[in-house]
Amino acid sequence: MDMMNRRNHIDIPEFYVGSVLAVSSSNPHAPEKVTRFVGICIQRGGCGLRAFFIIRNVVDHQGVEMFYEMYSPVIQKIEVLRLEKRLDNELLYLRDALPEYSTFPLDMEPEYLPEGSAIPVNPIKVKLKPRPWLERWERQELKGVQDLGLPKRFYERAAAVAKPWEKYDLMAEYRESIPAEEQEEIFAEVYSQLHQLEVTRKIMKRKRTFVKPKKMG
Amino acid sequence: MNQADVSKLMSRLKIKYSPVKRKLKNSEGPVGRAKKIQKTLTALIKHERIELNFNRADETRGYVERLISDAIRYGDCHRATMELADYWLLEKQLVHKLFKVLVPRFENCPVSYTRMYRAPRPCPGNHFERAVLELRGNPYPSLLPDTISNRNLIHNVLLDEAHKEYRAQKYAEIARKLEAADENVAKSSGDSDGPESSGLETPEEIKASTEAQVASEVQPSGEKVARPSKDVQ
Repeated sequence: MDMMNRRNHIDIPEFYVGSVLAVSSSNPHAPEKVTRFVGICIQRGGCGLRAFFIIRNVVDHQGVEMFYEMYSPVIQKIEVLRLEKRLDNELLYLRDALPEYSTFPLDMEPEYLPEGSAIPVNPIKVKLKPRPWLERWERQELKGVQDLGLPKRFYERAAAVAKPWEKYDLMAEYRESIPAEEQEEIFAEVYSQLHQLEVTRKIMKRKRTFVKPKKMG
Repeated sequence: MNQADVSKLMSRLKIKYSPVKRKLKNSEGPVGRAKKIQKTLTALIKHERIELNFNRADETRGYVERLISDAIRYGDCHRATMELADYWLLEKQLVHKLFKVLVPRFENCPVSYTRMYRAPRPCPGNHFERAVLELRGNPYPSLLPDTISNRNLIHNVLLDEAHKEYRAQKYAEIARKLEAADENVAKSSGDSDGPESSGLETPEEIKASTEAQVASEVQPSGEKVARPSKDVQ
Protein backbone atom coordinates (compact mmCIF):
# COMPACT_ATOMS: atom_id res chain seq x y z
CA MET A 1 0.00 0.00 0.00
CA ASP A 2 2.90 2.34 0.70
CA MET A 3 4.18 1.50 -2.76
CA MET A 4 0.80 2.41 -4.24
CA ASN A 5 0.81 5.71 -2.32
CA ARG A 6 4.23 6.55 -3.72
CA ARG A 7 3.12 5.61 -7.21
CA ASN A 8 0.22 8.02 -6.88
CA HIS A 9 2.72 10.87 -6.63
CA ILE A 10 5.51 9.68 -8.91
CA ASP A 11 5.15 7.87 -12.19
CA ILE A 12 7.48 4.84 -12.09
CA PRO A 13 7.41 3.57 -15.67
CA GLU A 14 7.86 0.06 -16.92
CA PHE A 15 11.48 -0.74 -17.72
CA TYR A 16 13.77 -3.75 -17.90
CA VAL A 17 17.44 -4.51 -17.46
CA GLY A 18 19.01 -3.09 -20.61
CA SER A 19 16.74 -0.03 -20.97
CA VAL A 20 18.28 3.43 -20.93
CA LEU A 21 16.88 5.59 -18.13
CA ALA A 22 17.23 9.19 -16.97
CA VAL A 23 16.69 9.64 -13.24
CA SER A 24 16.28 13.07 -11.60
CA SER A 25 16.89 12.95 -7.88
CA SER A 26 17.13 15.74 -5.32
CA ASN A 27 20.61 16.62 -4.18
CA PRO A 28 21.24 19.33 -1.53
CA HIS A 29 24.76 20.01 -2.82
CA ALA A 30 23.88 20.60 -6.48
CA PRO A 31 23.44 24.20 -7.70
CA GLU A 32 19.89 23.48 -8.91
CA LYS A 33 19.19 20.97 -6.12
CA VAL A 34 18.42 18.34 -8.80
CA THR A 35 20.85 15.82 -10.30
CA ARG A 36 19.94 14.14 -13.56
CA PHE A 37 21.75 10.91 -14.41
CA VAL A 38 21.38 9.02 -17.67
CA GLY A 39 22.49 5.43 -18.11
CA ILE A 40 21.65 1.83 -18.90
CA CYS A 41 19.99 -0.29 -16.23
CA ILE A 42 22.29 -3.20 -15.45
CA GLN A 43 20.55 -4.75 -12.46
CA ARG A 44 17.18 -4.77 -10.75
CA GLY A 45 16.48 -6.36 -7.43
CA GLY A 46 14.99 -6.12 -3.99
CA CYS A 47 11.43 -6.66 -2.96
CA GLY A 48 8.74 -4.20 -1.94
CA LEU A 49 9.91 -0.80 -0.76
CA ARG A 50 13.54 -1.89 -1.02
CA ALA A 51 13.28 -2.47 -4.76
CA PHE A 52 16.35 -0.99 -6.42
CA PHE A 53 18.00 -0.61 -9.78
CA ILE A 54 21.55 0.26 -10.81
CA ILE A 55 22.31 2.57 -13.72
CA ARG A 56 25.66 2.63 -15.50
CA ASN A 57 27.24 5.20 -17.77
CA VAL A 58 30.74 6.28 -18.78
CA VAL A 59 31.38 9.98 -18.12
CA ASP A 60 34.74 11.52 -19.11
CA HIS A 61 36.23 8.04 -19.69
CA GLN A 62 35.25 7.08 -16.15
CA GLY A 63 32.64 4.36 -15.57
CA VAL A 64 30.00 5.53 -13.10
CA GLU A 65 27.20 3.49 -11.54
CA MET A 66 24.33 4.95 -9.55
CA PHE A 67 22.22 2.89 -7.16
CA TYR A 68 18.60 4.07 -6.84
CA GLU A 69 15.78 2.77 -4.67
CA MET A 70 12.59 2.91 -6.67
CA TYR A 71 10.31 4.14 -3.88
CA SER A 72 12.73 6.58 -2.30
CA PRO A 73 11.19 10.06 -1.90
CA VAL A 74 14.51 11.50 -3.05
CA ILE A 75 13.74 10.46 -6.63
CA GLN A 76 11.79 13.10 -8.47
CA LYS A 77 11.42 11.67 -11.96
CA ILE A 78 12.23 8.48 -13.86
CA GLU A 79 12.17 8.72 -17.65
CA VAL A 80 12.67 5.82 -19.97
CA LEU A 81 14.75 7.03 -22.91
CA ARG A 82 14.95 3.65 -24.64
CA LEU A 83 12.74 0.73 -23.60
CA GLU A 84 14.29 -2.57 -24.57
CA LYS A 85 15.43 -5.90 -23.18
CA ARG A 86 18.74 -7.68 -23.57
CA LEU A 87 19.63 -11.33 -23.82
CA ASP A 88 20.57 -11.57 -20.11
CA ASN A 89 18.78 -10.75 -16.89
CA GLU A 90 21.78 -8.91 -15.45
CA LEU A 91 24.32 -6.87 -17.36
CA LEU A 92 27.02 -6.78 -14.70
CA TYR A 93 29.53 -7.89 -17.37
CA LEU A 94 29.41 -4.37 -18.79
CA ARG A 95 31.92 -3.49 -16.07
CA ASP A 96 34.44 -5.73 -17.83
CA ALA A 97 33.37 -4.77 -21.34
CA LEU A 98 34.84 -2.11 -23.58
CA PRO A 99 33.62 1.35 -22.52
CA GLU A 100 31.82 1.99 -25.80
CA TYR A 101 29.05 -0.46 -24.78
CA SER A 102 28.23 1.55 -21.63
CA THR A 103 28.41 5.13 -22.96
CA PHE A 104 25.21 7.02 -23.51
CA PRO A 105 25.02 10.76 -24.21
CA LEU A 106 23.69 12.69 -21.24
CA ASP A 107 21.34 14.71 -23.42
CA MET A 108 19.76 11.69 -25.12
CA GLU A 109 16.27 12.16 -26.52
CA PRO A 110 13.57 9.67 -25.53
CA GLU A 111 12.80 7.11 -28.24
CA TYR A 112 9.14 6.25 -28.61
CA LEU A 113 7.77 2.87 -29.58
CA PRO A 114 4.47 2.39 -31.41
CA GLU A 115 1.66 1.83 -28.92
CA GLY A 116 0.92 -1.74 -27.99
CA SER A 117 4.05 -3.22 -29.58
CA ALA A 118 6.13 -5.94 -27.95
CA ILE A 119 9.23 -4.87 -26.07
CA PRO A 120 12.21 -5.15 -28.47
CA VAL A 121 15.01 -7.53 -27.49
CA ASN A 122 18.44 -6.22 -28.37
CA PRO A 123 20.53 -9.20 -29.56
CA ILE A 124 23.81 -7.30 -29.24
CA LYS A 125 26.91 -9.32 -28.27
CA VAL A 126 29.28 -7.33 -26.12
CA LYS A 127 33.07 -7.60 -26.41
CA LEU A 128 34.92 -7.90 -23.10
CA LYS A 129 38.30 -6.46 -22.19
CA PRO A 130 41.14 -8.96 -21.71
CA ARG A 131 41.43 -10.71 -18.33
CA PRO A 132 41.54 -10.11 -15.30
CA TRP A 133 37.80 -9.69 -14.80
CA LEU A 134 35.61 -9.00 -11.80
CA GLU A 135 33.80 -12.33 -12.09
CA ARG A 136 34.33 -15.61 -13.88
CA TRP A 137 32.11 -14.86 -16.84
CA GLU A 138 32.87 -18.18 -18.51
CA ARG A 139 31.10 -20.03 -15.65
CA GLN A 140 27.87 -18.08 -16.08
CA GLU A 141 25.69 -18.83 -19.07
CA LEU A 142 25.84 -15.37 -20.59
CA LYS A 143 24.15 -14.97 -23.94
CA GLY A 144 24.91 -11.30 -24.56
CA VAL A 145 28.70 -11.72 -24.68
CA GLN A 146 30.92 -12.49 -27.64
CA ASP A 147 33.17 -15.52 -27.63
CA LEU A 148 35.43 -15.04 -24.58
CA GLY A 149 38.52 -16.50 -26.27
CA LEU A 150 39.99 -18.18 -23.18
CA PRO A 151 42.32 -21.21 -23.10
CA LYS A 152 40.60 -24.60 -22.92
CA ARG A 153 41.37 -25.25 -19.24
CA PHE A 154 38.95 -22.47 -18.20
CA TYR A 155 36.05 -24.09 -19.98
CA GLU A 156 36.98 -27.54 -18.70
CA ARG A 157 37.05 -26.27 -15.14
CA ALA A 158 33.74 -24.47 -15.67
CA ALA A 159 32.18 -27.73 -16.90
CA ALA A 160 33.57 -29.60 -13.87
CA VAL A 161 32.21 -27.05 -11.43
CA ALA A 162 28.86 -26.62 -13.13
CA LYS A 163 25.61 -27.89 -11.52
CA PRO A 164 23.32 -28.71 -14.45
CA TRP A 165 20.74 -30.53 -12.29
CA GLU A 166 19.74 -27.27 -10.59
CA LYS A 167 18.10 -26.15 -13.82
CA TYR A 168 15.56 -29.00 -13.53
CA ASP A 169 14.92 -28.75 -9.79
CA LEU A 170 11.15 -28.24 -9.88
CA MET A 171 10.52 -27.95 -6.15
CA ALA A 172 13.32 -25.45 -5.52
CA GLU A 173 11.91 -23.36 -8.35
CA TYR A 174 8.42 -23.61 -6.86
CA ARG A 175 9.53 -22.63 -3.36
CA GLU A 176 11.23 -19.49 -4.70
CA SER A 177 8.35 -18.31 -6.84
CA ILE A 178 4.73 -17.30 -6.50
CA PRO A 179 2.22 -19.59 -8.26
CA ALA A 180 -0.16 -18.20 -10.86
CA GLU A 181 -3.33 -18.43 -8.73
CA GLU A 182 -1.73 -16.46 -5.88
CA GLN A 183 -0.40 -13.88 -8.33
CA GLU A 184 -3.91 -13.31 -9.60
CA GLU A 185 -5.23 -12.90 -6.04
CA ILE A 186 -2.55 -10.34 -5.24
CA PHE A 187 -3.03 -8.51 -8.51
CA ALA A 188 -6.79 -8.32 -7.97
CA GLU A 189 -6.13 -6.22 -4.87
CA VAL A 190 -4.18 -3.54 -6.68
CA TYR A 191 -5.64 -3.84 -10.17
CA SER A 192 -8.12 -0.98 -9.99
CA GLN A 193 -5.58 1.53 -8.73
CA LEU A 194 -2.94 0.48 -11.26
CA HIS A 195 -5.45 0.76 -14.06
CA GLN A 196 -6.32 4.30 -12.99
CA LEU A 197 -2.65 5.22 -12.93
CA GLU A 198 -2.18 3.89 -16.44
CA VAL A 199 -5.11 5.88 -17.70
CA THR A 200 -3.79 9.09 -16.16
CA ARG A 201 -0.35 8.33 -17.59
CA LYS A 202 -1.79 8.01 -21.08
CA ILE A 203 -3.68 11.26 -20.69
CA MET A 204 -0.52 13.07 -19.53
CA LYS A 205 1.38 11.70 -22.52
CA ARG A 206 -1.16 13.10 -24.93
CA LYS A 207 -1.34 16.47 -23.18
CA ARG A 208 0.93 19.00 -24.78
CA THR A 209 3.19 20.47 -22.12
CA PHE A 210 2.96 24.22 -21.74
CA VAL A 211 6.45 25.74 -22.07
CA LYS A 212 6.68 29.05 -20.25
CA PRO A 213 8.03 31.62 -22.76
CA LYS A 214 11.47 32.90 -21.72
CA LYS A 215 12.46 36.56 -22.12
CA MET A 216 14.85 37.10 -25.02
CA GLY A 217 17.51 39.81 -24.95
CA MET B 1 16.52 -9.75 -0.57
CA ASN B 2 13.49 -12.02 -0.61
CA GLN B 3 12.58 -11.26 -4.19
CA ALA B 4 10.36 -14.01 -5.56
CA ASP B 5 11.47 -15.21 -8.98
CA VAL B 6 8.29 -14.91 -11.00
CA SER B 7 9.89 -15.33 -14.41
CA LYS B 8 8.15 -18.69 -14.89
CA LEU B 9 4.41 -19.14 -14.47
CA MET B 10 3.45 -22.29 -12.58
CA SER B 11 0.26 -23.69 -11.10
CA ARG B 12 -0.29 -23.92 -7.39
CA LEU B 13 0.49 -27.29 -5.82
CA LYS B 14 -2.58 -28.93 -4.31
CA ILE B 15 -0.58 -30.94 -1.78
CA LYS B 16 1.20 -30.14 1.44
CA TYR B 17 4.93 -29.96 0.92
CA SER B 18 7.73 -29.31 3.37
CA PRO B 19 9.42 -25.89 3.11
CA VAL B 20 12.84 -27.48 3.48
CA LYS B 21 14.55 -29.60 0.82
CA ARG B 22 15.39 -33.11 2.02
CA LYS B 23 18.91 -34.26 1.20
CA LEU B 24 17.88 -37.94 0.76
CA LYS B 25 21.05 -39.51 2.10
CA ASN B 26 23.24 -40.62 -0.77
CA SER B 27 26.92 -40.80 -1.56
CA GLU B 28 26.97 -38.53 -4.61
CA GLY B 29 25.45 -35.44 -2.98
CA PRO B 30 22.94 -33.26 -4.86
CA VAL B 31 23.54 -35.19 -8.10
CA GLY B 32 22.61 -38.44 -6.35
CA ARG B 33 19.50 -36.84 -4.85
CA ALA B 34 18.35 -35.78 -8.32
CA LYS B 35 19.02 -39.30 -9.66
CA LYS B 36 17.00 -40.88 -6.82
CA ILE B 37 14.05 -38.63 -7.48
CA GLN B 38 14.32 -39.35 -11.22
CA LYS B 39 14.10 -43.10 -10.55
CA THR B 40 11.15 -42.79 -8.16
CA LEU B 41 9.29 -40.47 -10.50
CA THR B 42 9.81 -42.79 -13.47
CA ALA B 43 8.62 -45.76 -11.42
CA LEU B 44 5.50 -43.92 -10.24
CA ILE B 45 4.49 -42.88 -13.73
CA LYS B 46 5.20 -46.41 -15.00
CA HIS B 47 3.41 -48.45 -12.33
CA GLU B 48 0.97 -45.80 -10.98
CA ARG B 49 1.32 -47.22 -7.47
CA ILE B 50 4.57 -47.80 -5.60
CA GLU B 51 5.53 -48.57 -2.02
CA LEU B 52 8.66 -46.93 -0.68
CA ASN B 53 10.15 -45.06 2.24
CA PHE B 54 8.24 -42.04 3.47
CA ASN B 55 10.84 -39.33 2.98
CA ARG B 56 11.58 -40.32 -0.60
CA ALA B 57 7.86 -40.54 -1.37
CA ASP B 58 7.15 -37.13 0.12
CA GLU B 59 10.02 -35.55 -1.77
CA THR B 60 9.07 -36.95 -5.15
CA ARG B 61 5.36 -36.23 -4.67
CA GLY B 62 6.07 -32.52 -5.12
CA TYR B 63 8.08 -33.17 -8.27
CA VAL B 64 5.37 -35.38 -9.78
CA GLU B 65 2.65 -32.82 -9.12
CA ARG B 66 4.81 -30.00 -10.57
CA LEU B 67 5.65 -32.03 -13.67
CA ILE B 68 2.02 -32.96 -14.34
CA SER B 69 0.75 -29.42 -13.70
CA ASP B 70 3.40 -28.00 -16.06
CA ALA B 71 2.45 -30.57 -18.70
CA ILE B 72 -1.21 -29.55 -18.35
CA ARG B 73 -0.43 -25.84 -18.45
CA TYR B 74 2.01 -25.79 -21.35
CA GLY B 75 1.24 -28.97 -23.32
CA ASP B 76 3.77 -30.98 -25.26
CA CYS B 77 4.61 -28.39 -27.91
CA HIS B 78 6.46 -26.29 -25.31
CA ARG B 79 10.20 -26.87 -25.53
CA ALA B 80 11.04 -26.23 -21.86
CA THR B 81 8.32 -28.63 -20.63
CA MET B 82 9.48 -31.31 -23.05
CA GLU B 83 13.05 -30.93 -21.81
CA LEU B 84 11.86 -31.28 -18.22
CA ALA B 85 9.88 -34.41 -19.04
CA ASP B 86 12.86 -35.75 -20.96
CA TYR B 87 15.13 -35.19 -17.94
CA TRP B 88 12.88 -36.57 -15.22
CA LEU B 89 11.44 -39.59 -17.06
CA LEU B 90 14.21 -42.08 -17.69
CA GLU B 91 12.08 -44.28 -20.00
CA LYS B 92 11.12 -42.25 -23.05
CA GLN B 93 7.82 -44.09 -23.64
CA LEU B 94 6.63 -42.58 -20.36
CA VAL B 95 7.00 -39.10 -21.86
CA HIS B 96 4.31 -40.15 -24.33
CA LYS B 97 2.23 -41.56 -21.46
CA LEU B 98 2.56 -38.28 -19.54
CA PHE B 99 1.34 -36.08 -22.36
CA LYS B 100 -1.16 -38.40 -24.04
CA VAL B 101 -2.70 -40.23 -21.05
CA LEU B 102 -2.09 -38.37 -17.80
CA VAL B 103 -2.70 -34.84 -19.09
CA PRO B 104 -6.23 -35.62 -20.39
CA ARG B 105 -6.92 -37.59 -17.20
CA PHE B 106 -5.97 -34.74 -14.85
CA GLU B 107 -6.86 -31.75 -17.00
CA ASN B 108 -9.98 -30.78 -15.06
CA CYS B 109 -8.96 -32.30 -11.75
CA PRO B 110 -9.45 -29.75 -8.93
CA VAL B 111 -7.63 -31.89 -6.35
CA SER B 112 -4.14 -33.34 -6.20
CA TYR B 113 -3.05 -35.80 -8.87
CA THR B 114 -1.38 -38.16 -6.41
CA ARG B 115 -2.41 -39.86 -3.19
CA MET B 116 -0.01 -40.87 -0.46
CA TYR B 117 -0.81 -43.33 2.31
CA ARG B 118 1.32 -44.43 5.23
CA ALA B 119 2.14 -48.11 4.90
CA PRO B 120 2.79 -50.68 7.63
CA ARG B 121 6.41 -51.64 8.34
CA PRO B 122 7.40 -55.30 8.57
CA CYS B 123 8.20 -55.94 12.23
CA PRO B 124 10.95 -56.54 13.33
CA GLY B 125 12.73 -54.42 10.76
CA ASN B 126 14.11 -51.00 9.99
CA HIS B 127 12.63 -47.99 11.66
CA PHE B 128 12.04 -46.19 8.37
CA GLU B 129 8.47 -45.08 7.81
CA ARG B 130 6.93 -46.63 4.70
CA ALA B 131 4.50 -44.99 2.32
CA VAL B 132 2.44 -45.88 -0.73
CA LEU B 133 2.38 -43.29 -3.50
CA GLU B 134 -0.23 -43.65 -6.23
CA LEU B 135 -1.72 -41.63 -9.05
CA ARG B 136 -5.44 -40.91 -8.92
CA GLY B 137 -7.41 -42.95 -11.39
CA ASN B 138 -5.07 -45.92 -11.28
CA PRO B 139 -6.45 -49.29 -12.45
CA TYR B 140 -5.83 -51.16 -9.18
CA PRO B 141 -8.54 -51.70 -6.51
CA SER B 142 -8.66 -49.07 -3.80
CA LEU B 143 -6.36 -49.39 -0.80
CA LEU B 144 -8.90 -47.95 1.64
CA PRO B 145 -11.46 -50.40 3.09
CA ASP B 146 -14.94 -50.41 1.55
CA THR B 147 -17.26 -48.76 4.09
CA ILE B 148 -20.33 -48.48 1.87
CA SER B 149 -21.47 -51.94 0.80
CA ASN B 150 -21.73 -53.45 4.30
CA ARG B 151 -24.98 -51.98 5.66
CA ASN B 152 -24.39 -53.52 9.08
CA LEU B 153 -21.55 -51.18 9.97
CA ILE B 154 -22.66 -48.73 12.64
CA HIS B 155 -22.36 -45.58 10.56
CA ASN B 156 -24.35 -47.15 7.73
CA VAL B 157 -27.02 -48.34 10.20
CA LEU B 158 -27.37 -44.83 11.58
CA LEU B 159 -27.50 -43.30 8.10
CA ASP B 160 -30.19 -45.76 6.97
CA GLU B 161 -32.30 -44.94 10.01
CA ALA B 162 -31.88 -41.24 9.37
CA HIS B 163 -33.01 -41.80 5.77
CA LYS B 164 -36.11 -43.66 6.97
CA GLU B 165 -36.99 -40.92 9.45
CA TYR B 166 -36.65 -38.27 6.79
CA ARG B 167 -38.84 -40.24 4.41
CA ALA B 168 -41.49 -40.72 7.11
CA GLN B 169 -41.45 -37.01 7.84
CA LYS B 170 -41.94 -36.15 4.19
CA TYR B 171 -44.79 -38.64 3.80
CA ALA B 172 -46.50 -37.20 6.86
CA GLU B 173 -46.26 -33.76 5.23
CA ILE B 174 -47.77 -35.08 2.00
CA ALA B 175 -50.58 -36.71 3.94
CA ARG B 176 -51.32 -33.42 5.72
CA LYS B 177 -51.32 -31.54 2.39
CA LEU B 178 -53.68 -34.10 0.84
CA GLU B 179 -56.07 -33.80 3.78
CA ALA B 180 -56.00 -30.03 3.50
CA ALA B 181 -56.66 -30.24 -0.25
CA ASP B 182 -59.55 -32.70 0.30
CA GLU B 183 -61.09 -30.35 2.88
CA ASN B 184 -60.81 -27.43 0.42
CA VAL B 185 -62.42 -29.51 -2.31
CA ALA B 186 -65.23 -30.54 0.03
CA LYS B 187 -65.82 -26.92 1.07
CA SER B 188 -65.85 -25.58 -2.51
CA SER B 189 -68.14 -28.36 -3.77
CA GLY B 190 -70.46 -27.70 -0.78
CA ASP B 191 -70.61 -23.90 -1.56
CA SER B 192 -71.14 -24.10 -5.29
CA ASP B 193 -71.40 -27.02 -7.72
CA GLY B 194 -68.07 -26.23 -9.35
CA PRO B 195 -66.36 -28.54 -11.85
CA GLU B 196 -65.66 -31.64 -9.79
CA SER B 197 -62.98 -32.89 -12.10
CA SER B 198 -60.76 -29.93 -11.37
CA GLY B 199 -61.32 -30.38 -7.62
CA LEU B 200 -60.37 -34.06 -7.80
CA GLU B 201 -57.22 -33.36 -9.73
CA THR B 202 -55.66 -30.96 -7.26
CA PRO B 203 -55.00 -33.49 -4.45
CA GLU B 204 -53.62 -35.92 -7.05
CA GLU B 205 -51.40 -33.21 -8.50
CA ILE B 206 -50.11 -32.38 -5.05
CA LYS B 207 -49.42 -36.09 -4.45
CA ALA B 208 -47.53 -36.45 -7.73
CA SER B 209 -45.41 -33.36 -7.23
CA THR B 210 -44.51 -34.18 -3.65
CA GLU B 211 -43.68 -37.80 -4.58
CA ALA B 212 -41.35 -36.52 -7.26
CA GLN B 213 -39.79 -34.11 -4.78
CA VAL B 214 -39.23 -36.81 -2.18
CA ALA B 215 -37.83 -39.24 -4.75
CA SER B 216 -35.31 -36.69 -5.99
CA GLU B 217 -34.30 -35.51 -2.53
CA VAL B 218 -33.91 -38.89 -0.83
CA GLN B 219 -30.91 -40.74 -2.25
CA PRO B 220 -30.85 -44.54 -2.49
CA SER B 221 -28.74 -45.87 0.36
CA GLY B 222 -26.26 -47.71 -1.90
CA GLU B 223 -24.79 -44.50 -3.35
CA LYS B 224 -22.09 -42.38 -1.86
CA VAL B 225 -23.89 -39.49 -0.19
CA ALA B 226 -22.06 -36.36 0.82
CA ARG B 227 -25.04 -34.34 2.09
CA PRO B 228 -25.31 -34.86 5.84
CA SER B 229 -27.14 -31.56 6.34
CA LYS B 230 -30.16 -32.88 4.45
CA ASP B 231 -30.46 -36.18 6.31
CA VAL B 232 -29.87 -34.87 9.83
CA GLN B 233 -32.65 -32.57 11.03
